[in-house]
Amino acid sequence: HKHKHKHKHKHKHTSTTMESAKPEKEKKPKKDIVIPPKKPKLSKAERRALQESQRAAKAEAADGGNASKKSSQLQQQSSPSDGNEANEKKNGNGNGNGNGASSDENMEGSSRNDTLTFFSHLPPYKDHRKIKDFSGVKLSSSSNSNLHPAVHALGLQYADGSIRGANSRCKAMFKTFQKVIQDYTLPLDTKKDYRQDLENRVLKPSFTYWTTKCRIHSVTMGNAFTFLKLAVANLGRDMVLEDVKSILCEGMDAYIHERIDFADVAICKYGSSKIMNGDVILTYAKNELIQMLLSNLDREKKKIRVILVDSRPLLEGKDMLQELMDAGVECTYILLNSLSYVMKEVTKVFLGASALMSDGSVLSRVGTATVAMMARSHNVPVLVCCETFKISNRVQLESITGNELGDPDDLMPPSLSLEEWKSSRGEHLRLVNLLYDLTPNEFVSGIVTEMGILPPTSVAVLLREMNPQDSGFKEEEF
Amino acid sequence: GEDQQVALPVAAIKSLLGVIQRTNSGTMMGLEMELKQASDEMLKFANDPFNSNMLGGRSHIALASGCELFLKYITRCFLELPDFNECIEQIIYRGQRFSDISIAAKERIASTGTAFIQPGSTVMTHGWSSVVSSLLIQAAKDTHFEIIILEGRPDASGAKAAASCYAKAGIPTTVILDSAMAHVMERVDMVIVGAEGVVENGGIINKIGTYAMAIAAKELGKPFYVAAESFKFARLYPLNQSDLPTMGEGMEEHLKFVDTACWISTGGAYGKEHKETTMEGDGSDGSSRSVPGLVVLPKEVKVENSLCDYTPAKYITLLLTDLGVLTPSAVSDELIRL
Repeated sequence: HKHKHKHKHKHKHTSTTMESAKPEKEKKPKKDIVIPPKKPKLSKAERRALQESQRAAKAEAADGGNASKKSSQLQQQSSPSDGNEANEKKNGNGNGNGNGASSDENMEGSSRNDTLTFFSHLPPYKDHRKIKDFSGVKLSSSSNSNLHPAVHALGLQYADGSIRGANSRCKAMFKTFQKVIQDYTLPLDTKKDYRQDLENRVLKPSFTYWTTKCRIHSVTMGNAFTFLKLAVANLGRDMVLEDVKSILCEGMDAYIHERIDFADVAICKYGSSKIMNGDVILTYAKNELIQMLLSNLDREKKKIRVILVDSRPLLEGKDMLQELMDAGVECTYILLNSLSYVMKEVTKVFLGASALMSDGSVLSRVGTATVAMMARSHNVPVLVCCETFKISNRVQLESITGNELGDPDDLMPPSLSLEEWKSSRGEHLRLVNLLYDLTPNEFVSGIVTEMGILPPTSVAVLLREMNPQDSGFKEEEF
Repeated sequence: GEDQQVALPVAAIKSLLGVIQRTNSGTMMGLEMELKQASDEMLKFANDPFNSNMLGGRSHIALASGCELFLKYITRCFLELPDFNECIEQIIYRGQRFSDISIAAKERIASTGTAFIQPGSTVMTHGWSSVVSSLLIQAAKDTHFEIIILEGRPDASGAKAAASCYAKAGIPTTVILDSAMAHVMERVDMVIVGAEGVVENGGIINKIGTYAMAIAAKELGKPFYVAAESFKFARLYPLNQSDLPTMGEGMEEHLKFVDTACWISTGGAYGKEHKETTMEGDGSDGSSRSVPGLVVLPKEVKVENSLCDYTPAKYITLLLTDLGVLTPSAVSDELIRL
């Protein structure tokens, strides 16, 4: 416990790249979200409470093996945060076994090491079928049983991948919160401020549950959650609960409509102004916004051809291909490895984003950076279509620090069956299935937002304009 | 003389002010519609090939951006002063000051720009820009430097206007062929050009040849400065050379290639009747000699004579504007606020 406490202090002063080490997992949602200054006190205590409950849950679930692995895991986690990643890689073999398995008490041990220790700061993939909370009717007595069933339902959808994509996850989150808020009542005997109660008893635990148990939250979810917390904090102290509920629900609807739906319409307008007749547009994987943009072009004036690049293991591009073909767009479908072959024909590249960093780098589905780099080397302009609510005030320098690991078994070659695959893998085979990557801003020609087309260097300005309460100084009227 | 210093956008805004003063409209919406109509008319006029020739053929980007900024300013003004008459008064007042602002802008740019020119340096420039010329003439009062200027075909604006202007101001000037630009670049210490328009990503649109100059300057490590007033900031985002706004239809018809040797003899006005029939390398149809100075090509050969090119932001070191000395990425910041 003392050891972990030291960590926290250290982390406050060091760079944000180190903050995603394991003991700080609970801290992660806070770092992505902009918090009004007086919050940190609460969150620390809350973090401790959460740690206690988690440790209690761990103690219940663990067998002897896990308990011993826990101590090696603690030691393991200290090395990345010391910044000695190179050293750690050399020690990788020895410590590797402790890493993948013991991090989640609910994972049945494949004691075999499943991922590189280079990525040990990332939470390993949780197979949702093995998570105890989801199986069986009886809910455990942990703090998670206080959550609304809709929260559990959404959590399962996040964990098994039925809801995927930055926008969908955010919209689903708000739909669930609306349900939860409608069902919310303040305990009769308390004189508590309903705002604090709502936030601490309902909203924060739900969000933390999704992030820690189901799937790490996206930047969009983080930004939307910040918005919700601010909305709650701005309510009057003595308001009638019914009014509170309707205000919050309407606020959430407005957020979705303005920042997502209408923003998408505006982005399509700006984006299509950059598409000329005869263009060959390349896009990668699946993105609803790009799909909307390409399907809704005026086909009389602008006849285009679309090249759709897809990659394993998710092969998300297939759905997009179907939608585009249904809309009557002429499409070519390739896998990522033929990219260099087709790039000569391409006139423009349109990419989607999961999040936008404040220096203009783009966090998106793994493989996007490759597409952008290839386009750059062929002098093809790359336009990234992204709503402003995806802008994160974080800056990430490379793809390793803030990423997410997927199911290593997805990398299985399709010719093998699962048993063959598991048995044929040698002890020394490590699997890394990264889900995101970072496209550096020098590969991006322009970012299409609902405010217009911007150069990547101007994203920070946009952030400042849209959230003036977060900037450190007041803007002078000129 | 001084009248030539009035930039096209300034004149445009004066005419828009005239529209405002004469308006019968009682509401802001009506006024905005009238103004939009007026500016569209002006743009149409500027885009017409015949008229473009008169206007120098290239200023319509600055015209469009000046009008757009002015319209935006009006909208903002109305948000601050909801009362119609009060708002109109404020706009007219500001508008009348605008031409003063533009002249003051040139002076401010000139005074900040002189600090960039070291004594004994060689400055390369291209095209005829009143901002650049006022900057260089101002600098010449304090520092001793020399200028290399490209002749600037097809309208020979470099040789014609700029060279004589700088020579009169007493600055040692050398005129070189456009194609000799890279050859001479190693002798040069810095490059300063003007701009027709400054686009959102910090790049510029300027006379054809500027892009090549920027690439050569970057390659040889010479700083590339752009001097432009802030009303030239346009809401355009070109992705590449072909993404520029199209000029008037059939513009290129009027700008055929001119043989420089004959340019001297025709005094720079191609298409003018000339008595001497000097033939340079053309042995075809005699009747075509009625337009002296023109290189005559067979019908099958296509002529492409673009007026402007786009220089991306990465080649530009700094922009000298009346808002201060900006990096290319700061242009978008300014435009977001406008």
